[in-house]
Amino acid sequence: MKFECGDLDRALEVSELMPEAREHLKQCAACRREYRLWNEISTTARQLHEAWDSPALWPKIRSVLQAEPKPERTPAWRKQWKVWAVAATLLVGIGLLLLPRLQEAISTPDTPNVAGTSSPADRDFLTEQALRDVQRTETAYRQSIEKLSQLAQPKLADRSSALAANYKEKLLLIDSAISETRSNLDHNRFNVRLQTELADLYREKQQTLQELLTRDQKN
Amino acid sequence: MVWELGLPLRFALDLPDHPTDAELVEQCKRGNLHAYERLYELHSARMKSLAFHLVGNRQDAEDTVQETFLKVYRGVRGFAGGSSLSTWIYRILINCCYDNLRKQQRLAEKPVERDFPSDPKLPLKLALERALEKLNERRRLVFLMFEVEGLRHSEIAAILEVPEGTCRSWLFEAKRELKRLLTESST
Repeated sequence: MKFECGDLDRALEVSELMPEAREHLKQCAACRREYRLWNEISTTARQLHEAWDSPALWPKIRSVLQAEPKPERTPAWRKQWKVWAVAATLLVGIGLLLLPRLQEAISTPDTPNVAGTSSPADRDFLTEQALRDVQRTETAYRQSIEKLSQLAQPKLADRSSALAANYKEKLLLIDSAISETRSNLDHNRFNVRLQTELADLYREKQQTLQELLTRDQKN
Repeated sequence: MVWELGLPLRFALDLPDHPTDAELVEQCKRGNLHAYERLYELHSARMKSLAFHLVGNRQDAEDTVQETFLKVYRGVRGFAGGSSLSTWIYRILINCCYDNLRKQQRLAEKPVERDFPSDPKLPLKLALERALEKLNERRRLVFLMFEVEGLRHSEIAAILEVPEGTCRSWLFEAKRELKRLLTESST
């Protein structure tokens, strides 16, 4: 392809001129002038850097900054608001878990009834109601713990940490116990002891996860 | 407690001799004025020059640099570190320059007069300055940052939040336009 004057602009797009362009420059004075100007633009541009002394500028900036209110550090608890939000939900969950047990104690035959007027049918209804409350609360509690687990996942995934491995192992054991207890509960939904055990296991899991997360904050 | 520049000396001494970007950011977030002074030492010459070319005179350039530092001070706690500290500062500076320019133009209700140093020994320099005024803003800005202030394409691309290829392309367009303008003015 024959290089022509009109091709010069395109040739300048790359940092090094192609051989055809260099050959053309040897023969064309107009293109040589343009090419020289192209290079001079860059060399002259460096002289456009404007430098001057401004001894008063930094002191002025400093006094302006000094007059500004000092930036406040964000308290650590505000940085970890997600952990605290989940912890608060868990606390409410525990409270709700304990509530049905109290209701059950009220509705058992050997417990004196405050009103003393409820019939056996009413009591069955109350027990069924209490169980539904337990199941609903357990679901909410389990979801909250899941959220906490997700927050702890990056720490648990750290294969280089022996501590993370220990926590992981402990959580696996707790999960397995939870699964076994829930399976037993499927056969005996009204068993208060199993419900209590399940609540204890969830509490244990919550405490383990919180310990892992707060240990990380302290370090 | 020993105080220096209104800060406990303990804070002043927290700054290493050659702080990393992360250390500077941390100290700036604490309000350590020594960290800001270090930033000033590192960048003010280039910031002043770039501001001078954008706002047109030294006084306004200095005011813009001062305003930039104030904005950095107020906003550093929100700086997430997605880019380097210098990239963020230059971005603020450029925005301040354009804000000031708009203010000046509103007040003057006519194009802002620029200080062109008249040096008869350097006709090309003068012609180049005048030709630069005729470029569109993005080409002019890339030319100033790359050719005049010596920033790298990667830095300019980060400041302007455009791909590096776009930045190179704008520079080429700027130089081609300048060449055309200078060729026309010399004939």
